[in-house]
Amino acid sequence: MPAAPKRRGRAELSAGKLGVVMNLPTLATLALVLAYPIGYAAYLSFHKVTPAELRRGVFPSVGLGNYQRILSDPLFLLALKNTLVFTAVTVVVELALAIAIALLIDQRQVWTSRVTRFLILLPYAVPPIANGLIWSFMYNFDFGFLNRLLFSAGLIAKPVNWIGDPNTALFALTVPYIWRTLPFAVLLVHAALQGINPELYEAASVDGAGAFTRFRHITLPLLVPILVVILVLRTSFAFVVFEEVLAITQGGPGDATWVAVWYSYKRSFAPPFDVGIGAASAYVLALIIGALALAYVTIIYRRIE
Amino acid sequence: MMGPPTGTGTLGRRALLKSSTAALALAALLGRRTHAAGTPWADRPATRVDRLNFVVWTYGDIYTKISKKFADDWVVPVDATISSFNDHPTKLITMYAGGETIDVSQSSPFSFPNFITQGLVEPLDGLPGADEYQKDFTDSAKQVAVVDGKLMGLPYFSTVWVWNYYTDLMEKARFEPFKTYDELLEQCRKAKKDGICDYPIQWVAGVGLEQLPGTWYQLTWNRGGVFFDKAGNQQLGPGSIARETLKWWIQTFTEQLVDPESLRVQFTTSAKAFCAGKNIYRGPNHHYGLNIINDPKQSPIAGKVKAMGSPGDGKTIGATSVYFLCSANRDKEWAWKLLQYLGGRTKDGAYTQAENLARDAMLGSGYASVMKSTAVTEGWKPWGEPDKILEIWDKAIYVGEMCNSIYKPWHFPWSDRINIEVQKALTGQITADQCCDTLIAAIKEVQKS
Repeated sequence: MPAAPKRRGRAELSAGKLGVVMNLPTLATLALVLAYPIGYAAYLSFHKVTPAELRRGVFPSVGLGNYQRILSDPLFLLALKNTLVFTAVTVVVELALAIAIALLIDQRQVWTSRVTRFLILLPYAVPPIANGLIWSFMYNFDFGFLNRLLFSAGLIAKPVNWIGDPNTALFALTVPYIWRTLPFAVLLVHAALQGINPELYEAASVDGAGAFTRFRHITLPLLVPILVVILVLRTSFAFVVFEEVLAITQGGPGDATWVAVWYSYKRSFAPPFDVGIGAASAYVLALIIGALALAYVTIIYRRIE
Repeated sequence: MMGPPTGTGTLGRRALLKSSTAALALAALLGRRTHAAGTPWADRPATRVDRLNFVVWTYGDIYTKISKKFADDWVVPVDATISSFNDHPTKLITMYAGGETIDVSQSSPFSFPNFITQGLVEPLDGLPGADEYQKDFTDSAKQVAVVDGKLMGLPYFSTVWVWNYYTDLMEKARFEPFKTYDELLEQCRKAKKDGICDYPIQWVAGVGLEQLPGTWYQLTWNRGGVFFDKAGNQQLGPGSIARETLKWWIQTFTEQLVDPESLRVQFTTSAKAFCAGKNIYRGPNHHYGLNIINDPKQSPIAGKVKAMGSPGDGKTIGATSVYFLCSANRDKEWAWKLLQYLGGRTKDGAYTQAENLARDAMLGSGYASVMKSTAVTEGWKPWGEPDKILEIWDKAIYVGEMCNSIYKPWHFPWSDRINIEVQKALTGQITADQCCDTLIAAIKEVQKS
């Protein structure tokens, strides 16, 4: 048979070009749904923006004025400090618990671990605001389940004002947050555990390694990549905690539980509705999160390599 | 095929009666329509709309009824966007900023000046019937709804701050309602010591525009103080009544006489918490909390809680919330019609919503005629003693008179600071002096920003 004539100008794309073309729809979608709002928020952070101006679409420029204002506002600095404390506590506790729980439910010889695997995921299905309300009832001074439980167990002599006391309120907020988000971390660690070759453990056992040694020299090093992912994700999410604050403390008592996103929310969505200030504070927060994520990846991955 | 003949061709007695009745009924209907026509609330606007909407905060089931009545009367469906009281400004402003249509909305007196400054509120002067409404306003309603001589809204409801006490615990402790603040402290100490209750007082001191700040305003005004003088100068300096009041208030916390949930409760949650019967007194707050506490369906201590006035001459504060015509409306005439259903008269000329609010929810009205009507004098009886509450009502001033920053757009952010600093003071993190000094400094900051 005679060969089909080649069509002019319809040469096949190279693999590289094809990759770019195939990615274009995704890039366009991401640009629309992510880049545009992020860019618009950046634009707003350099302008004076009130609701009336938002409706008109005309904003006077204030240069770096919004950033200067928030960085000189003691309440913003306090909110940042509270956010850092909250993040440090939740991320550390969550990582430790995630590893411990994942190791427990990974015991295939124990049949109840299957039930536990299912149950451990339940909190993740609870909407954040509902979780906040549930814990708000749990913490109630007079009728809360927590005080009743501790009192019945003889651990406290009188009810504790968990969220009404400025010394305990921020830490009280970490518990519902960890309870809600822990399953995600457990899931990731558990998946990583299943990817570890069992022969490594068998070989170590033959060499006389105990459980702790196996964990220290096999499990933990092989979990590091996933732990970095969890660190980055959980740090980013803990930095933007909001729902629990809204449902449980509303920033109180006083300013004891003002966190960075609560600050942005109050500045943007409560009178005088200064959206420019809210956008600027959100950007400062985003920069901090970005810097931390970069630090995690750089420092820990360098160690792995 | 035709049916059998029903008559002989002449008008029989039965037929005469039937036709006369029908004629009378028609005449009555026409007469009523004729009577209503020509009144501002009964005329149909000349323009046409497919639907209308309002954005409000939740209160029981009051909006279902009035929306249905509007739709039945005018054959125009009404969409309702309802959020919680504290979230209402956020919801309203985001809808407004997002370019959505809002025909009617509402405001607490504390946020109204800010909404006006933001350009959300359309003046009502010149609209049909607006002058007649104004003539019936109470003083409190006038002070909120009339801004710089312009009518900016119609009253939603009015309230005054009253104390509540639980009679069972009072009898058990052999107390009479206190007459001075010193006596209150003595009673609370004794009740705690004698094991009558652990925490005799519950304050409404949760974060909010009217909750924690409202309690401080009321206590200060009752003791003869103000937050700002007529010229707008702050009155929180050393030795001021507001500062001394705060010191006294802190003492109730320091001596652990206060229910620790006080710092979290809002008006409704406070009423529900009081239903547990664990406190003797509930600090000064909106009078209508009794419609929860004395409701047998909601409260195990129903019928055992009474309202009482404040010590001394019984001076107290009051407030009126308003509905307003939003500048983002789709049709001004129809929006005015809807606004009247919520804050004025319905097609039949009655203050339907205001009367329902009094009968169903124990709310007061911004209309003098409604306050004198049986909707209040009889309608409040299931939950309290109307005469007694109306007596307290007569001793109330609008809160803006003792804290005139409420008329300023910066009052709202300053309230944020009040909530933070006073809660810090009440929980022992700072002193009353530090709190007041910070609040004085904050006035300049919020004015500047």
